[in-house]
Amino acid sequence: MPDGALPVLDVRDLKTVFKTRSGEVHAVNSVTFDVKPGELLGVVGESGSGKSVTMMSLIGLLPSPPADVKEGQVLFGGQDLLKINPNDLRHVRGGEIGFVFQDPMTSLNPVFNVGFQIMEPLRIHMGLNKSQARARAVELLELVGIPDAGRRLKDYPHQFSGGMRQRVMIAIALACDPKVLIADEPTTALDVTIQAQIIELVKELREKLGMAIIWITHDLGVIAGIADRVMVMYGGQVVEQAPVRELFGNPQHPYTRALLQTIPSVRGARAEKLNVIEGQPPILAGAPTACPFRDRCPQRFERCDAENPVRRAVGGAGHDAACHYDFKAGGPHVG
Amino acid sequence: MLDDLKPAGKPLVAVDNLKMHFPIYGGLLRRRTGEVKAVDGISFEIFEGETLGLVGESGCGKSTVGRALLRLYELTGGTVKIDDYDIAHASPEALRKMRPTMQMIFQDPQASLNPRMTVADIIGEPLREHQAGSKLEREDRVLELMDQVGLNRDFANRYPHEFSGGQRQRIGIARALALNPKFIVCDEPIAALDVSIQAQVVNLLEELQDSLGLTYLFISHDLSMVRHIADRVAVMYLGRIVELAPREEIYAEPLHPYTKALLSAVPEPDPSIESSVERVILTGDVPSPSNPPKGCNFCTRCPSVMDVCKQVEPKFQEVRPGRFLACHLFEYPTPDTNESATNGAG
Ligand SMILES: Nc1ncnc2c1ncn2[C@@H]1O[C@H](COP(=O)(O)OP(=O)(O)OP(=O)(O)O)[C@@H](O)[C@H]1O
Ligand SMILES: Nc1ncnc2c1ncn2[C@@H]1O[C@H](COP(=O)(O)OP(=O)(O)OP(=O)(O)O)[C@@H](O)[C@H]1O
Ligand SMILES: [Mg+2]
Ligand SMILES: [Mg+2]
Repeated sequence: MPDGALPVLDVRDLKTVFKTRSGEVHAVNSVTFDVKPGELLGVVGESGSGKSVTMMSLIGLLPSPPADVKEGQVLFGGQDLLKINPNDLRHVRGGEIGFVFQDPMTSLNPVFNVGFQIMEPLRIHMGLNKSQARARAVELLELVGIPDAGRRLKDYPHQFSGGMRQRVMIAIALACDPKVLIADEPTTALDVTIQAQIIELVKELREKLGMAIIWITHDLGVIAGIADRVMVMYGGQVVEQAPVRELFGNPQHPYTRALLQTIPSVRGARAEKLNVIEGQPPILAGAPTACPFRDRCPQRFERCDAENPVRRAVGGAGHDAACHYDFKAGGPHVG
Repeated sequence: MLDDLKPAGKPLVAVDNLKMHFPIYGGLLRRRTGEVKAVDGISFEIFEGETLGLVGESGCGKSTVGRALLRLYELTGGTVKIDDYDIAHASPEALRKMRPTMQMIFQDPQASLNPRMTVADIIGEPLREHQAGSKLEREDRVLELMDQVGLNRDFANRYPHEFSGGQRQRIGIARALALNPKFIVCDEPIAALDVSIQAQVVNLLEELQDSLGLTYLFISHDLSMVRHIADRVAVMYLGRIVELAPREEIYAEPLHPYTKALLSAVPEPDPSIESSVERVILTGDVPSPSNPPKGCNFCTRCPSVMDVCKQVEPKFQEVRPGRFLACHLFEYPTPDTNESATNGAG
């Protein structure tokens, strides 16, 4: 993999707070990560842990108010995306950074047909004329496995199945050969065979274009199969990060460990009752002053209540975790 | 409890030759030029207290089946009976009375939640509509439902957009459970959730089933979750059911080539098993439901295709006790006998 290469996207200390009638929600707390050209970064984490808000923050897609991206830097192509003017940002978005939203029905516009929605960015960002854009749109829909693509351009989003809408979103995100593709649960509505096809397609584009990919998913099987590196989020923070084999083979954060215990299998024995992580996720009402996972953590001790752990190197190369406990030593981390 | 004998009970849902075709309009005059055969003649039963899993490729018609069962569409053909009551031909008034007993958890949580209502209002709406209990009782019930699906009670006055994708899905589940339904169509109820919460929701659905005797149609493309929750599994391909069998049998020995391909394609999170998994990769064109191939729908992609498959549509029939299949391979067991089989079928 592209070792030593400079990151194409470099996110530092990102903080996002929502102001709601019932108080503040600190959805993203000092999130730092990067992704290199041609690299696939998998992002996993509990529902509500801030995965989507992190990605929406960095390309300026959250309406403000209520969202306030308070702090941080998002370095892309020599500029800070949090500082550039809205026009330039719009050009980066949908052009150099492709985005697949978690919720395809809300991100596709119900009043325009699907063809228009794919062709529009091609005309704006790539300068294609109408017939070129149409040809490319058909090609893209075929690439994501929509049968009868030519005819379906005239159809509206509600005429597509859930999985097809998701594939239309993927086609739109890939339309302009982006440098970075951010895919938020891009295959949750897809069956395994089409999912496999999409994954092959994405891998191919990564080789061919050196596209960097950020892939958010709850499906750890998919992550195991495609990611180079994995970042785990919990309570608005990155709690662990490692190369994929290292993460699955040698998890060092109690949340990651618990998460890996919950996966059911199609192969091997069927469990009578599925494993769950007991307890409730944190409420995120203020800036964190203690470990967000402490209430559900089997390793909890005094320091976890007093101090939010920072990420520190653990295990092999490129592996860090935010935990006061040291699994190797079998006790509190000293230092 | 005679838990193991569940499927032997009486059928709560009986579907016979269900068809749901959507018109295609084209040309200058927007004339009807064809139709999408989203569901094209399927029959099955779901027993009381049973969970039937429904799996299959994206676009094969699963959601359409679910919606048709609750008569959210006017059917093109066939009958649907729930509790011996003909849903397909019921009057609007009769349907309204039946609604509380049958519910749906939708695939697209965002689109199914009213953005101007608070979570408590959304979950409580069916209770108000059907005037269940006093105001106070209803408020209690809403909080109890929020507990059940793992939503923090403190969030009761928030609006849907203030939640993450997975949290929104749980609002939909709480709402569907509000009126203690008998039958729930769960359309990809857990796809947007993380594995731990998926497990919580699946455990919850199972507990409710045991205590309230609920019956589920569980639509999902997650074959490991279906294996967990379903008693029997139906596999759909392009508007038809190609195989239906008890859970353990279908996972241990899938009979239809499509089922085999589907099971082999499941990504494996355990790196130590990953390398030993044998995969059947499907090639060939995915046909369009507006123009399905002649013969068997799967013939354009089937690794064991025979000549007969391109001519004759296979019958959906019981090939072993409790196992239903639509495949010519079963009638002409070895692919080697191709020649004679085709000749035999003329
Ligand atoms: N507009 C908003 N107002 C207030 N809170 C919000 C808003 N949008 C998101 N949140 C909160 O921010 C937190 C992070 O949400 P986010 O959507 O990033 O989660 P996620 O990790 O993507 O979860 P999922 O896996 O369920 O999609 C959640 O607790 C959510 O309730
Ligand atoms: N209202 C509609 N008008 C026209 N075609 C439709 C309509 N609803 C669905 N279809 C078509 O019917 C077919 C089946 O759709 P359905 O939503 O049932 O698929 P599905 O199996 O649920 O797929 P997924 O797993 O992607 O959700 C698709 O080809 C879809 O485009
Ligand atoms: Mg999300
Ligand atoms: Mg569907």
